[in-house]
Amino acid sequence: MSQGRFAAGFLVPGALWLVLLFAVPLGIVLAISFGTTDDLGNTLYGWYPENYEQVFDPVFLPVLARSVGFALATVALCLLIGYPVAYYIAIFGGRWKHVLVAMVVLPFFVNYLVRTYAWIAMLGDEGVVNGALGADIKFINTPWAVIGGLVYGYLVFMILPLYAALDRMDPALIEAGKDLYGSPWHTFRNVTLPHTIQGVLAGTVLVFLPAVGDFVAAQLLGGPDSYMVGNLIQQQFFAAENWPFGAALTTVLMAFLFVWMVLYLRSAAREATAE
Amino acid sequence: MKPPKDFDRPRFLKAFTALFFVFLFAPIVLVVLFSFNSSKSLQNFDGFSLRWYEQFFGSESLRDSLAASVQIALVTMVVATIIGTLLAYGLVRSRTRWSGGLNVLMLVPLVTPEIVAGVSALLVFTQVGLQLSLTTIILGHITFSISYVTVVVRARLAALGLDVEEAAMDLGATRLDTFRLITLPAVWPAILASGLLVFALSFDDFVMSFFTTGESPQPLPVRIWSAIRFGVTPTINAIGTFMLAVSVLTIGLAIALPRLLGRRESGVGVLFGREAA
Repeated sequence: MSQGRFAAGFLVPGALWLVLLFAVPLGIVLAISFGTTDDLGNTLYGWYPENYEQVFDPVFLPVLARSVGFALATVALCLLIGYPVAYYIAIFGGRWKHVLVAMVVLPFFVNYLVRTYAWIAMLGDEGVVNGALGADIKFINTPWAVIGGLVYGYLVFMILPLYAALDRMDPALIEAGKDLYGSPWHTFRNVTLPHTIQGVLAGTVLVFLPAVGDFVAAQLLGGPDSYMVGNLIQQQFFAAENWPFGAALTTVLMAFLFVWMVLYLRSAAREATAE
Repeated sequence: MKPPKDFDRPRFLKAFTALFFVFLFAPIVLVVLFSFNSSKSLQNFDGFSLRWYEQFFGSESLRDSLAASVQIALVTMVVATIIGTLLAYGLVRSRTRWSGGLNVLMLVPLVTPEIVAGVSALLVFTQVGLQLSLTTIILGHITFSISYVTVVVRARLAALGLDVEEAAMDLGATRLDTFRLITLPAVWPAILASGLLVFALSFDDFVMSFFTTGESPQPLPVRIWSAIRFGVTPTINAIGTFMLAVSVLTIGLAIALPRLLGRRESGVGVLFGREAA
């Protein structure tokens, strides 16, 4: 028995688990998305493409567009905030580097619900900021509150790959750029950014994917006017009891994200082989 | 040669990063602080008290939820770590015609939005007639956890190289002995660290739990969700602070682990190194 055959046996439990509890369930979502419900709300299999027509109905289309818009805005803000922070930690962190990275990661381990709820306590109508200012500023229940919550929730996924890319880069390259009389902006655009573009792409995908499917931020910080596709899906399973429509929404979401996932997985695979 | 001036003194960057950390931690400090508030107010701190913790631990149903969360996280940790480690070993040391596809299948859960994973888990469990309970939550958690373990352990295995294992086998060790006595101990820090990471992720998970939970007991995050929707109460601050403490201890342990085991590598590197990105 060769080493490879011996090791191949180790694949079996994981392969079975992922096929039976991840791949097959996705297939079931697809099957049910073409189903319907009987009078009691039970799910029946069948061929009802109407579920998909409903997804693109003018009533629901704005929700899909809003989800993508919110997620893109989240990505943009995460890049704007995350790049300088990752840059500072990677280039100037010195012996505090690991501590600073740990500090970036730490809040991620505060429960997402509690973190979101903390913003209500901070910025709510009865919150600390309005109390301290004696003001009555409406922060919560606006689209920006939802985007802010998403940024706060997923920023770590942007900073980590950016940090990894910047940390890998030789700082001498930046110095060389400046020695050649490049302005800071030119050095950034022509040297630093191209060298860290993999990190930018990874962070973009890693933030976009969870943000577009999120329903917590919109429910807690927004309100029905800012509902995203995640809220719509959640409602189909827990309020409307229209599982086939919920499954169709989930399938459309997954299909839309598929391109992003493939892009990310390909670059991750390329990176793995490059090392 | 001296580097140019503005490279030397990144004042703007420093201020920006400092401000970033203030924003990052402000809400969390607030939650922790007000979990010890003696009054119900979320605006004024009226003195230290443990009354919200008494309310948390005094409630039998919340205690049941805490026990459920711990039980889910422990079982998930053990099963996902075993399966994930075996998968990592298989992916690094074998070349079957399934390996490429399996590698992709292993990575997809990491980039699948939680709501998609939650919906698929709910549908598969109801289709096979499985009653929603702690068991279904655990099955769901293991599914998204395996990949984390595999990615972290695989990076260590790849770094280990083949020569040590080949040396052991040249000296007469069987394949199983080599795996047990050489490979496993060498990647032990990565296995334990990823296991602790899985514990923290499972303990904190809301979305998968929300879609797969039964009536009772429900894990803590699901309880927090119901509570928040009824309004803001200081007990949530106490639960949140407690969960924060559990997560920080778990992750702190994961980071300190390689040192505790007498290794040179850093736990931050093992968990969040470039291999994991």
